[in-house]
Amino acid sequence: MSSPFATILDVLTRQRGVRASLIVSERDGVIVDASVRFGQDGDRIAALAASMYRKARLSARAARLGAVSFLQLDAERGRICAVGGGGDLVIVVVTDPQANVGLIRMELLKALDTFQETDDGLPSEGAKRQGEESR
Amino acid sequence: MKIATVESWVATPLQSFVDEARVQLALVLHPSGQAVAQAGFTRRMDVMTACALAAASHATASELGRYVDGKPFRGLHYAGPDKQLFIGTVETRAGAYICLTVFDEESSLGLVRMYFDDLSRELAAAAPAPLENRTDVLAVDFEADLNKNLAMLFGRGGDVIIRNA
Repeated sequence: MSSPFATILDVLTRQRGVRASLIVSERDGVIVDASVRFGQDGDRIAALAASMYRKARLSARAARLGAVSFLQLDAERGRICAVGGGGDLVIVVVTDPQANVGLIRMELLKALDTFQETDDGLPSEGAKRQGEESR
Repeated sequence: MKIATVESWVATPLQSFVDEARVQLALVLHPSGQAVAQAGFTRRMDVMTACALAAASHATASELGRYVDGKPFRGLHYAGPDKQLFIGTVETRAGAYICLTVFDEESSLGLVRMYFDDLSRELAAAAPAPLENRTDVLAVDFEADLNKNLAMLFGRGGDVIIRNA
C-alpha cells in the first residue's frame, strides 16, 4: 500500500541532483515517509534536518521575523532544503552541490501547498492527481 | 553536564552522548539493575529508583518482544506531555548494558536514537574484555555491589543502606 505522500516524494526525487526526499515529524525527528537513494542514511538526515528546521523556526519567531518559508543549508558535499507548513510535518530534500536549488525550492513550495490543502496535513486527491499529471 | 561512572570506559562515550543529544538525564546500568554511570541525577535515591524501574521495563519489553516478534525489542520510547524517555540495550563484549535517557523538547526521539546508535558503537569499542571468572549476580552480593556503585557515583556521604526485608 503506497503512503499518501508517495506522489509528493516521487516528484521531488525525480529532480536532477536530489539524493533523498523525506517527510519528517518536526517534533520527533523521525521519518514519516521517504524516498532515499542508496547510501543515504535516512534516519540521520531526518533527525538532524528536523532539529535544524525547528531551531530555525524558533529563532525566526524569537526575532519576530514570522514563519520560516524555506530553509537551505549549503555544505561542502551537498545541500539540505526544508519547508514546513505550520503543522508538525516538514518536507526535506538532500541534493548534490550542483543541483538547481531554484527548481527544487519551487517543487518544495508546491508540495507544501498540497499539505495545506487539507486540514490534516495529508495531500488531497486533487494534489495527488496534479502530481500524477506532472510525471 | 557532569558524568559520574563506576566503570571508567563508559565516561567518554556517555559524555559525548549527553552533550550531543542534549538529554536531561542519562543512566547506564547492568540488566540486573546495578548502576554503571549516570548524568544529570542529583540524588542517589533517584538513581536507585530509576535503575530498578529501567531494569524492570527492559525485562518486560524484552519478554514482550520475544512474545510478539520472536526476539526482544531493542528500544522502548515513552512520550509524556513535557518529557520523553528512551530505554535501549547496548551489546558489548563485556556483556549487555541498558541505557535510560530522559529528554525534553530541546531534543527529539530521532536525535536521541541517532546518538544512541553512536553511543552503542563507542561503548562496544571501548568495553574491556570480559572477566573469565565473572559470576552471576547473587542476591547477597547485589546489595553490597549496588551500595558500592552508588557510593562511587555520589560519594560516601549520606549512603543509603539497603537491607533485606
